Amino acid sequence: MALIEVDNLTFGYEPDAPVLDGITLEIAEGERIAILGGNGSGKSTLAQWIAGWLPRGAHKASQGEVRVNGTTWQGLDARTRTETVQFVGQVPMQQLSGFAFTVWDEIVFGPGNLGLPPDEIVARAERAVAMCNLAHLLERDPFSLSGGEQQRLSIAAALAMQPRALVLDEPTGNFDPESRDILLAQMADLPGGLTTIWCDVALGPPLVVADRFLLLDEARIVFDGDARAFLAHPRTRDIFGLPAVAEVAALLAKAGRWPGGILPPFDLDEAVAAFGAVMEGTIPA
Amino acid sequence: MAVARPSGSDHALLYVPGTSWLHRLNPMTKLVAVLWIAVAAFVLPTAGTIALAGLAAATGILAGAGKVFARRLAFTLTPLTVALFVVHGLLVGHGNQTDWFGLTVSRDGIAFMFHILGRIAALLAGSLLFVTTTHPARLLKALDSKGFPPGMAYLIASPLLLLDPFTTRARAIREAQSARGLDLNGSLMTRIRAFPALLMPLITLALADIDHRAQVLDGRGFRAVPRRTVLDPPPDSPAQLWARRLILISIPFQIAGGLLWR
Repeated sequence: MALIEVDNLTFGYEPDAPVLDGITLEIAEGERIAILGGNGSGKSTLAQWIAGWLPRGAHKASQGEVRVNGTTWQGLDARTRTETVQFVGQVPMQQLSGFAFTVWDEIVFGPGNLGLPPDEIVARAERAVAMCNLAHLLERDPFSLSGGEQQRLSIAAALAMQPRALVLDEPTGNFDPESRDILLAQMADLPGGLTTIWCDVALGPPLVVADRFLLLDEARIVFDGDARAFLAHPRTRDIFGLPAVAEVAALLAKAGRWPGGILPPFDLDEAVAAFGAVMEGTIPA
Repeated sequence: MAVARPSGSDHALLYVPGTSWLHRLNPMTKLVAVLWIAVAAFVLPTAGTIALAGLAAATGILAGAGKVFARRLAFTLTPLTVALFVVHGLLVGHGNQTDWFGLTVSRDGIAFMFHILGRIAALLAGSLLFVTTTHPARLLKALDSKGFPPGMAYLIASPLLLLDPFTTRARAIREAQSARGLDLNGSLMTRIRAFPALLMPLITLALADIDHRAQVLDGRGFRAVPRRTVLDPPPDSPAQLWARRLILISIPFQIAGGLLWR
């Protein structure tokens, strides 16, 4: 059974204006998925549904539902929800609990809420701190951090919960290149088992992390497959533009990862040229 | 244990880092002591409240918080003294009047002024003793470790933590509206008319934030289990536990004594 099932989900914030239109999706345990699309394509809304943040208040699906291990989000108790999926949204300041006076307290806040033994809380927090490059910020007030630092803190706090799935909505948008690379390297090296759902409007970061790619366009999934096919898809080129696609090809080649899986490293120029052939277009100099 | 002020923040504005015995006391003990002082401020006679305020201030000075005490007591008591002197010493006829440097002053009014000032000084000094020597983070841990509901700790923490972002947002809204041509520097009436344009987005965004914050808390398992785990709870001791019990037991006697005394 899939860990998360999105079953024919149709949802809109306004009547007759669906943001998600008949979305069906199965996410298996341990999968690393990237949900990509342009602005307003429904990525963030789908991410919130997958993470159980919707429905709430007046927001009801007009059709379909999301199930976790066969149960809808509403059917799960608070602890199970928390230990199943963690969500990190786009706006860094909104991800802070408002309960912690220091970065360290923010990270241990969640595990503390689960009543875990102190040793385990500390071990989890230390791992999360290392992953998110936060060691030098532990005594800082979370609200005084920059946007990128707050986002790293939010990811660390989510990782410290050791969820089965992590949903990230444009997580590296506020990162400086160094912090982004550290996080991407750490994410790519995550031990198997953590299901990762990475929503982004940028191609680069999710392509380093994910194995399966979804393209969301006008409230529908128009592509679901591997990186090579994703990059070759005509709507990918339309939405992201050829230069961005070529840049990603170069990035992957440089990292020794060609679309579709890890292959032996090869020459960057060769990668770009090969990718140009795939796209049947001209790659700008 | 000395708790450093988290860098980059003014959340614990009055907290003075230190290692005095008062700093080391469990926050619950200090909280109970503040409660005792608050009750005493209302039941003691004027001389008692002034002595209590003096004692609390002296303790604060010994704990290294003298500057904060002096500043806060002066800022609060000076205008209050002037106002009470004018109202009760000069304006309200309490009887038993005397001449003071050419002014007709009511002796009873002055006594009443000292009575009120003594109470306020005692309350203020007692509260300052607590806030200058207790970092809010330590208070939260103490409340958590004593099994208080997490919601109570959140009520203490969130206003302190969210005040800065709220102020920043208010400033951003002001700048944004100003950039769109809203006149915020005109006459009083112009400013009053502009006020809703500042207030409405602030309220709307604050409400949206509440919704989001609730989701974050839910996502982090807030209240998922009845008892949170607290890392490094403030140390407590049997002596402090008994002191708290004795102080709490003494409070009804304090009230009864005050009533009988009168």
